[in-house]
Amino acid sequence: MHARVWSRLRRSPSATAGGALVLALVTFAVVGPMVARHGPLESDFVHGITDRQTPIGPCAAFPLGADRLFRDVFARLAWGARFSLVVAVTSTTIAILLGSLVGVVAGWVEGVGTVVPWPLFVGAMAIASAAALGRPLIAWAVAIAIVLLVASGRTRGPRIDLDGWLMRLVDVMLAFPFLLLILAIGAAFERTTAATVILTLGATGWLGIARMLRAKTLQVRSLDYVEASRALGQSNFALIVRHVLPNVSGTLIVSATVQVAQMIVAESVLGYLGVGISPPTPTWGRMLLEGQEDLTSAPWLVVAPAAAIVLAVWAFNMVGDGLRDALDPAAEV
Amino acid sequence: MAGVCAVCAVSALGSLPLGCNQAAPAPIPGDSNEDAPARRGGILHLASFQDIRNLDPAGPSDGLSAEPQHLLFAGLVDFDDRGYLVADLADHWEIADGGRTYRFVLRQGVTMHDGSELVADDVKRSVERALHRTTPNPNASYFAGITGYRAFASDLTDHLAGVSVEGRYIVSFHLDEPDATFLPMMTMHTLRPVCRSAGDRYRDDWTPCGAGPFKFAEWQPGTLLRLVRHDAYFRPGLPFLDGVEWSFNMQLVAQRFRFSEGELDVLRDLTQSDQRRFAADARWKRLAGVDADKRVYGESMNTRMAPFDNVEVRRAVAAAIDREHYRLLAPGYMTVLTQLIPPGVPGYDANVAGQRYDYAAALEHMRKAGYPYDPATGQGGWPTPIVYPLYDRGLLVFTAQLLQEQLARIGLRIELRLMSWQAFLTLQERPGAAALSQGAWEMDYPDPSSFFDPLFTTGAIPEAGHNVAFYSNGRVDHLVAEAHRELDPERRRDLYREADTILCDEAPWAFAYGYHRFYVRQPYVRDLTPHPVWPLEATRAWIDRVSDAGFARLLRGAIR
Repeated sequence: MHARVWSRLRRSPSATAGGALVLALVTFAVVGPMVARHGPLESDFVHGITDRQTPIGPCAAFPLGADRLFRDVFARLAWGARFSLVVAVTSTTIAILLGSLVGVVAGWVEGVGTVVPWPLFVGAMAIASAAALGRPLIAWAVAIAIVLLVASGRTRGPRIDLDGWLMRLVDVMLAFPFLLLILAIGAAFERTTAATVILTLGATGWLGIARMLRAKTLQVRSLDYVEASRALGQSNFALIVRHVLPNVSGTLIVSATVQVAQMIVAESVLGYLGVGISPPTPTWGRMLLEGQEDLTSAPWLVVAPAAAIVLAVWAFNMVGDGLRDALDPAAEV
Repeated sequence: MAGVCAVCAVSALGSLPLGCNQAAPAPIPGDSNEDAPARRGGILHLASFQDIRNLDPAGPSDGLSAEPQHLLFAGLVDFDDRGYLVADLADHWEIADGGRTYRFVLRQGVTMHDGSELVADDVKRSVERALHRTTPNPNASYFAGITGYRAFASDLTDHLAGVSVEGRYIVSFHLDEPDATFLPMMTMHTLRPVCRSAGDRYRDDWTPCGAGPFKFAEWQPGTLLRLVRHDAYFRPGLPFLDGVEWSFNMQLVAQRFRFSEGELDVLRDLTQSDQRRFAADARWKRLAGVDADKRVYGESMNTRMAPFDNVEVRRAVAAAIDREHYRLLAPGYMTVLTQLIPPGVPGYDANVAGQRYDYAAALEHMRKAGYPYDPATGQGGWPTPIVYPLYDRGLLVFTAQLLQEQLARIGLRIELRLMSWQAFLTLQERPGAAALSQGAWEMDYPDPSSFFDPLFTTGAIPEAGHNVAFYSNGRVDHLVAEAHRELDPERRRDLYREADTILCDEAPWAFAYGYHRFYVRQPYVRDLTPHPVWPLEATRAWIDRVSDAGFARLLRGAIR
């Protein structure tokens, strides 16, 4: 199986080109900051400036020119690549984990009434939110309430349609505009940091994955051999781990690859709109925003981050396409 | 250069609308010849990358709000086009009691925007409304010299004793002491008469109404403001324009595109490259210019918050800022400023020993403050990051990053925190909220007191003023008050020189730069010249274009 997938991947031009670009991007993010002659936050008022007192264009000392604060655009682009990749990969991981959990559980329990210890779930979420917002008293109060509930044996909730509840949750979250959500989270934390960007992107990126995996799980659940395993007495957990997850892993891998590209765009959009991480941290979106005013006099300030965003997104999408083709059983016919 | 053009070639391949030496757009000519008489009609379209905060002259204001406020509200006195003080709503005034009483005789038959006639009672009511304790008026401290102000501002009396109505059209202001700056201060928008609908006390929901040349039509906060001509304006035949319209929060590049298309009539927020292009283009030479150097920008340090409650830390900051680096952000338009008064303001004194960049001295001040910093190891300095609030517009986002870099070299670590412009202003005026932030001020009237009074006197500490450094120095208060009483120009200059020297030494602000505002107008905009005091004076401006922007576009398209 793996050998066949690998073989198909190697034969796919888009996967090969995309993979090479992704490799180049990762190399740039890792090696670029090491080989840059300047720090990303370091202004050079001696060499980064022209006789007309404007930022210098691309030259040996500044391969991609200097920005308005006479900083090395190459160094900032490389550090921005590092930031973008870390944010995109981490938030995608969060989104995949959340989406998989919700999607597979929803698909598996569809049509079956489920008893959920909801006070424990709600309590845990309230404690986490209160702690994150710096309200320890509320967190402690909720924790004590949970202990009392457990002691009195009232943690079991009524039998509910868990699938319906989870999908309505997805509907509600999809109704929230993404930017509004990140502004609200930024306001709650009083500032936007890398962590809040990652959490926000992760917390909003799982919705589509959950829907897709639910559908896939429904499909797998009704297969004969899964029914047979269930009849033989295998537990739900074992059935999901042994039969569902292997069957949805291909879909998941393709989704993750495409999701990374989307996260890179989302992070850049946040930076461009000025609601991402605060300056002077170099991010591609922020570089685009700060460079656009000098579009005609110093085009390198816009071209460099714009090209980086386009190439990165293109690369991950091509890898995603290649993976989809390679993992699709229909391709064997 | 080859590299630059290589990048241009790459961008052209990417279909980006770039050009290495893109020319300025062609001016859109007017319909008449140069000496054509002014005629009525047309809307003046303006834009800004900022937003306005308030239209009520008694409320919190900002540089941009002053533009519509000036057109909405007329004052008893005003500055004319040459910067001379002249009567406006007042027919004339008399000074009595050794300079302690100013008696204004109002013009008769002045119609306000609501159709009522302006009388002396309106003046008194407007003054009391603006200076009442419940009014969030940051300019109230300017008028502390009016007799009875303290009692009125403390709510001990219902009326301001120092303002008396002596007839239907006569109103007098009584001062505790003679004040050389009283008449210039009366030109400010704060005390300008407002309609009776404003009531006796400040309200947030009041629709602006005054006696200015234009009246309020529509305001969509954050987006648009529209004023229309006040047909019953007391100066016959004026204004010429049908209205004035501002668009807010508009990106600089978008403003330039709209200006090129004739959808904006005046371009005042330009990118550096656009400024250079317009300034170098002969076609625009006559239509472009810069206004006077009447703004001061610096880093305001809250003297009540650590570590800036320590004067040595403030001195360290003042010495650590390389002002020449600030200037390089907009060469030609930014000027290095080492003292409070900008060179374009009457009373500027080149002999003031200002603040200077001296890195060794900055490190020494940090050592004296008890926070020695070793640049070689990066050890020492102030132990915790200092939050620096900023909004994501204009030069501030660049100067903030420069400041962060420069202060890191003396052991002060700055954490930049982006927020909205309104949040920034609110935070800055709240005690204990912002330890370090950008200070900015533009001349209200041509006198040094326009800078000293609102920014550095004890009485101007928020809520009553703009003293966002929360700075209080008895000697400075005394010198500024003495300068108000002093009528001899040389003696006043000496007093302000001493006050400025104290400020430069104690450094509640690290003074950094001044800024000339570049503007360019389309040829069809007539008689709109920069005013020596006000940011916008459009009473005599007119539009020499019958067609609107959309029609002009169609026409140009058809010709092509």
